[in-house]
Amino acid sequence: MTTTALPVVPAGTPPAPPRAGRGRAGLGERTIPYLLLAPAVVTMLVLLGWPAVQVIAISFRRLDLGELVRGEVVWVGLDNYRAVLADPEVWTVTLRTVVFTASVVAATVIGGLLLALLMRHIAAGVRVAVQICLVLAWATPILATTTVFQWIFDQQYGILNKTLVKLGFDSFAGYSWFSSGASTLTVVGLLIVWQAMPFVCFTIYAGLLTAPKELYEAASMDGASGWQTFSTVSWPVIRPLVTLATFLSLIWDFKVMAQVWAIRQGGPDGESTTLPVLLYLKGIAGRHFGVASAIAVLMILVLLVLSIRYLQLLLRSKEGDLS
Amino acid sequence: MVGVASIALVTAGCAGSGGTDPGSDAGTDEQRTLTVWLMDGSAPETLTTALHEEFEKANENVTVKYEIQEWNGIQDKLTTALASQEPPDIIELGNTQAPAFAAEGVLTDLTGDIDALNGGQWLDSLKASGEWDGKQFSTPFYAANREVLYRTDMFEQAGITATPTSRQEWLDAIAKLEAKFGSSKTFQPLYLPGQNWYALLSFIYDEGGDIAEKDGTTFTATMTSPEAKAGLEFYKQLVEASGTTAPKDNDEQNPEQAGIFGQGEVAMMIGLPWEVDTATKDKPELKEKISAFPIPSKNAGETAPVFQGGSNLAIPVNSANADLAKDYLKLMLSDKYQGMLAEGGMVPGASTDLSALEKNAVSKAMADASKNGRSVPATPTWATIEAGQNPLKDMLTAYLTGSKSLDQATKDASTALDAAFSAS
Repeated sequence: MTTTALPVVPAGTPPAPPRAGRGRAGLGERTIPYLLLAPAVVTMLVLLGWPAVQVIAISFRRLDLGELVRGEVVWVGLDNYRAVLADPEVWTVTLRTVVFTASVVAATVIGGLLLALLMRHIAAGVRVAVQICLVLAWATPILATTTVFQWIFDQQYGILNKTLVKLGFDSFAGYSWFSSGASTLTVVGLLIVWQAMPFVCFTIYAGLLTAPKELYEAASMDGASGWQTFSTVSWPVIRPLVTLATFLSLIWDFKVMAQVWAIRQGGPDGESTTLPVLLYLKGIAGRHFGVASAIAVLMILVLLVLSIRYLQLLLRSKEGDLS
Repeated sequence: MVGVASIALVTAGCAGSGGTDPGSDAGTDEQRTLTVWLMDGSAPETLTTALHEEFEKANENVTVKYEIQEWNGIQDKLTTALASQEPPDIIELGNTQAPAFAAEGVLTDLTGDIDALNGGQWLDSLKASGEWDGKQFSTPFYAANREVLYRTDMFEQAGITATPTSRQEWLDAIAKLEAKFGSSKTFQPLYLPGQNWYALLSFIYDEGGDIAEKDGTTFTATMTSPEAKAGLEFYKQLVEASGTTAPKDNDEQNPEQAGIFGQGEVAMMIGLPWEVDTATKDKPELKEKISAFPIPSKNAGETAPVFQGGSNLAIPVNSANADLAKDYLKLMLSDKYQGMLAEGGMVPGASTDLSALEKNAVSKAMADASKNGRSVPATPTWATIEAGQNPLKDMLTAYLTGSKSLDQATKDASTALDAAFSAS
């Protein structure tokens, strides 16, 4: 039984008109919201839309340093795309990036979910301590955390190797965590999960707090198990938030560059290179801006494919309600 | 918010146009400005002050606008600056980056001016960095090369009377130092990280090998040659003999080797002269105990050839003052100012007079080795290799840690280098 009295908002009623519009009739009242929206829409079009159009246009041009300096416009049709798609390395890197993103997103969301559920069950004092730790992990600048991780995993001076040796695992003396791509990406993945989990955790925890206490009481009175309580009471409340967090993480983790680059510049032997690193190496460092744009467009396409489900939900549901 | 911002912009625009005095336009025909970009830490201030004074005196209507640039992010800044309507008139380029700019045709061709610019005295390695397709697009500025920095007090205590002049003597010195100080667990006779590819190049050159073969404007990697393999083998021998605890999977900057040298438990490191200052920042008393000798050759009595790092000077092709810029270069590359560069501790790029460097043991060792300096392949693709994934570093780590055999490591490096060379 719900005792909280909710204000009754009939569906479909527009929000109260702004004060200035009160009393005016018809057309003016209808245009004012659009006028108010216009500056934001124009700004977004100029700052986000125009560069996006530029990137697509440049991807059909040869634009190296020489063309840029001389101001030449050389259209090359699909040459950049052909060059990129014909390169077997691009396919390896794309596959690697997709697998890497999927693992990191799964770890972040599952970790964040478990932490959020844990926070509901622990004493207030401990919870505050956990929350402070999470905020600190979240608030530390990316490169600062990256530097700390580099030192943790350092071959000679790293605290991890030293601790493992102390625990009796002598083979870890001088062990190099960055000697293979898989191992390097695991460290990078841990680093990204570490930085991303607090946001996911807080988002889900906020959702859990909105679940009415009475439902939990009722569930425990009816003798529901922990799993039953979770699946019938908590999950329906937090599901839209988990969906949201998953897709936000997907977008963020897919294009993560700073951490991968800072750890080993995509090495050794290019085995930890992800798409953004490849874009930087081929396009920016090599000054082939046309190729860089082509890779960027392909990245957007991959991201679209990965997040198609979310977009479907977003478009189908009314007013962005994802439940 | 946006509305406020745009109003502010409009007002600012008005103020800007209102503030421009129409009278100032009249003067631009006569009054000219030469914009000079030099890098942080390259030319000493005494040099630039004197040079700009002399230049402005000789060209009465010209003002030199001197701007010091940071190395960090300079590639992107140069790209934007060169594409602008008013690029700087003189730019300094790292010698390994110079070919990338030359090949794109964004620099003024200086082939006809070589003689006027003191060309007879140019350093070979920097001249080669400035060439592309048989033309000269940038001139040498200054160079620096690595040497072995060592602790005189430790050498004395270990009974090493003369600095090593061959690889064998170098290894002997390591053994003597180890015998004397080896009881301390933190002591390292030579600090040598796994990825000091500059040192590796020295060993490969010494064997008679090189990174790549040049044919016109195309390069083919030669890491699988017996000479390159021998150089790599010596690197491993040195790492093993020295018992260094430096990481095998990182370079001399991570962690910074000068800092480790400065802690006082290291007898030698392969570094640049100014790393002495970094090492002794916290312990100035250590400075007088540090000296240097050139990297020894496998042939007794010779010094090994060295990788020469340094800078070139160039004139952007869009510069409106190319004539003035050439006069500026003429002055900068004259004996007088090249001498001042040497006094500042650099190997001058356009002067064979190294006497100013011989006053001090640390810079003398660099000057001695500099006569046999080489550079990386002068290809536009090298800038990309240095920007991130350097196959030579991967090769060193793979071979030193044993994850690849010598043949496999060199073969993979050659393949990766060839792929990089053919990328443009």
